[in-house]
Amino acid sequence: MVQKRFFAMGCVLAALCAASGSPSFAQAELTTAPTPRPAPISSDSHKGGTLRLAAQNSGGTLDPQVSYISLIKQLETPVYDGLLAFPKFAGSAAQPVIANLAEVVPQPEDGGRTYRFTLRPNLHFSNGQVVRVEDVAASFRRLFKVGSPTAGPYYSHIVGADACLHDPARCTLAGGIETDPTTRTITFHLTQPDAEFLDRLAWFHAAILPASTPPHDTGNTAPPGTGPYRVTRYDPATGMVLERNPYFREWAHDAQPAGYVDSIQVTFGLDPEGEVTAIENGQYDWMYEDVPLDRLGEVGSRYAGQVQIYTLLLYYYAALNVRMPPFNSLKARQALSYAINRHAMVIYHGGAAVATPLCQLLPQGAPGYEPSCAYTKGASPAHPLPQWQAPDLEEARKLVRESGTAGQKVTIIAPLEGRYAAMAMELRSTLASLGYDTSVRSMTQTVQFPYVQNSDNHVQIALTGWNADYPSASTFLQTLFTCASFRPHSDNSPNMSAFCNPDIDALMNKASAAALTSPAESRQRWAEVDRALMAQAPAVPLVQIKRVSLLSKRTRNAIVTLNDEILLSQLQVR
Amino acid sequence: MMMALLRRLGQTVFVLFGISALVFLVFFATPGADPTARIAGRNASPQTMEKVRQEYGFDRPLPVQYATMMKKLFITQDLASYVDRGELVVPEIARAAPVTVSLVCGAALIWVVLSIAMGTIAAAMKGTWVDRGLMMLGLIGISMPVFWLGQVANLITQSRYHDTWLFSWVPGLGYVPLTENPWGWFKALVIPWIVLAVMFIGIYSRVLRADLVALSGEDFMRTARAKGLSPTRILLRHGLRTSMVTFVSLFGLDFAQLVGGGALLTEVVFGLPGVGRLTYQALTNLDLPLIMATVMYSAVFVVLANAVVDILYLFLDPRVRDAR
Repeated sequence: MVQKRFFAMGCVLAALCAASGSPSFAQAELTTAPTPRPAPISSDSHKGGTLRLAAQNSGGTLDPQVSYISLIKQLETPVYDGLLAFPKFAGSAAQPVIANLAEVVPQPEDGGRTYRFTLRPNLHFSNGQVVRVEDVAASFRRLFKVGSPTAGPYYSHIVGADACLHDPARCTLAGGIETDPTTRTITFHLTQPDAEFLDRLAWFHAAILPASTPPHDTGNTAPPGTGPYRVTRYDPATGMVLERNPYFREWAHDAQPAGYVDSIQVTFGLDPEGEVTAIENGQYDWMYEDVPLDRLGEVGSRYAGQVQIYTLLLYYYAALNVRMPPFNSLKARQALSYAINRHAMVIYHGGAAVATPLCQLLPQGAPGYEPSCAYTKGASPAHPLPQWQAPDLEEARKLVRESGTAGQKVTIIAPLEGRYAAMAMELRSTLASLGYDTSVRSMTQTVQFPYVQNSDNHVQIALTGWNADYPSASTFLQTLFTCASFRPHSDNSPNMSAFCNPDIDALMNKASAAALTSPAESRQRWAEVDRALMAQAPAVPLVQIKRVSLLSKRTRNAIVTLNDEILLSQLQVR
Repeated sequence: MMMALLRRLGQTVFVLFGISALVFLVFFATPGADPTARIAGRNASPQTMEKVRQEYGFDRPLPVQYATMMKKLFITQDLASYVDRGELVVPEIARAAPVTVSLVCGAALIWVVLSIAMGTIAAAMKGTWVDRGLMMLGLIGISMPVFWLGQVANLITQSRYHDTWLFSWVPGLGYVPLTENPWGWFKALVIPWIVLAVMFIGIYSRVLRADLVALSGEDFMRTARAKGLSPTRILLRHGLRTSMVTFVSLFGLDFAQLVGGGALLTEVVFGLPGVGRLTYQALTNLDLPLIMATVMYSAVFVVLANAVVDILYLFLDPRVRDAR
């Protein structure tokens, strides 16, 4: 998952915004909701200028096959391309992937084990080199050679990938990728059908780079790409500059539209408070970080027209360790799910305008999402309600009594940053009200995230968040709750609940397999998995949030997509 | 002289070794601090984790890892950050140091001039309302945390009154290199200078006043008065010069720790990409190479500053010279 702002979003002053009589966030959302499809650049009137962006810190390496930081992903979206792409527009039609460097999205062959692509002709990298099929094959070999974070989870189904994972230096993907320069075809062979293979080809790490790109992390040097911009300067301490790629000619507007501004300048170092002020003063055009909670009232009342609010596939939850008391008891887990006050969690994230109570493990917007709340007043896993209503403390206390776990010690491990502290205190008081002897241990998020994943640390309950790389149910359900994703003694074990249920694993495999033949059936099965998981309550979903992004007065044409958020290449400046 | 230099060098090496070993051990003793998972990325496969472990040498014994890190930091100077493999920490610090030096030198000039003026005037007018007023101002300066004062300064100059004639000249937060635009450099730094200097003005003026008042009863001051020298001459020539010994030793340490990264909060609040902000960034990301490099840089500065202060003593205090 892209490492991103788990400390984000919200309108703590939603009521105030509405009461102020000024355009509120709710109104702002209405005005921005029907995000336009980017129009082809027909006139030069909107072209040109320099877009000035601000971010608190740099995102580390620029290597598109290594970086897993959302800032770099967002900045490099107009720099690199894959064979496929997530559509650069919003709406219901934006869900499946579309052809980018490839001419068309292929139909799976051989029962989903083979995919044939034809590379578009006359494509160039930003160094002038023509894009060849060999570059495509080399880019996939390079994924393994550089140790891309998603090489294992996303691309291990390619024939030969297993050998590449074990011996990256000698990776050939023999039998996995075949190329034919004369017909410009690239054929992928998989060891087993992968319903999300096409999504994964559109994912950022599958960027096509020249075959000559060094087989190691290029760090502060961005390899040549095919998009409308190229990185011309990068200093992780101060800033970054993107300028037009002179070899770029638009080939598919919906996949990689041409950019409006001549250059994009990014400055690192301002904190979010300073960023908001600088944008209000017209010194910057966009900030990467979310508007801090204490500035939402001001921004909502005075700059509502410059705000973009959009839903992210990101939620916060409490992972319950199902192998340790008290949460090895199903009743104890269910009790906490009934007792938690999700309304309070929404308030901690800024109010109803920018956060929604979440009661299930698939967030709104993910394929397979069907509103369902098993743990709220008047509901049960057998009879869920469509929405969370209120906590049911009576039922929760009854379940705790039945579980015989009352009085046990529980330690919540939470990140120090931002609103996590308030969420942790709410969890603590809920557990205390259920009769547990509860305490909170806070640690910096950088430490907390690997710490809570390692089973050696015996974490009972971890407060954390998860976001999707691309819209898929498996990103949330398979990654977080399968037997295979629990890796004992490892800092990289995303199944923080240590949950393993072979029956539910089998359900997931069926849902995943169905996607190849019947996407509708697949979505239905994922919804069933979601409900089956919630019946076991390995985690307490708390809240899903929206991103509040502030733009300068002179910035126009903000196109927001589900995968790439605001398209920087489409912003215009006056 | 040579012996003293060698002794100082030996002390420096010992201090650096102690600090670096401590930082290294504390880092690896912290649960969850193992950088492998963070470098490999979320949900990376066990094979990718293993690859990272081998590449970075995390599978080797700790003393070997420590020695390798020290070699890369001090000898080959190619120690790379754990967050960004392309970021070599030594050049990074070399690029950040001028920003910190610019900030600290400007602030130091302000606090030295103002604190000497305030301390001397207060001592000369001891017991009057001027003395009490100045010392009260000093106390207020000490009481205001620099991060709060910085945020308030930003709120006034960047936000609330930015569009007024008074503050419309204030540029956006950030740094402008002196070589690029000297006027821009001055404008970008003048408010951070004042904010950073405020607390030190308070401390130094109060220390200086107390010193001057204590010295006024000393024999050599009485002798000067008996000789018929003017009160101004006695205060400035005899009193102030002697008080400078305390002042300079205090200044040396403060200046060194600030140049070494102690101006962290000011740099963060004003978005200045100096060594302090680099340290802050390193700590936020738990980036051991950068933490190590900034700590070493800071330690070197403090040790060097101590040496410079010792030398300055020779000029300021004849008793130190005579004691040689």
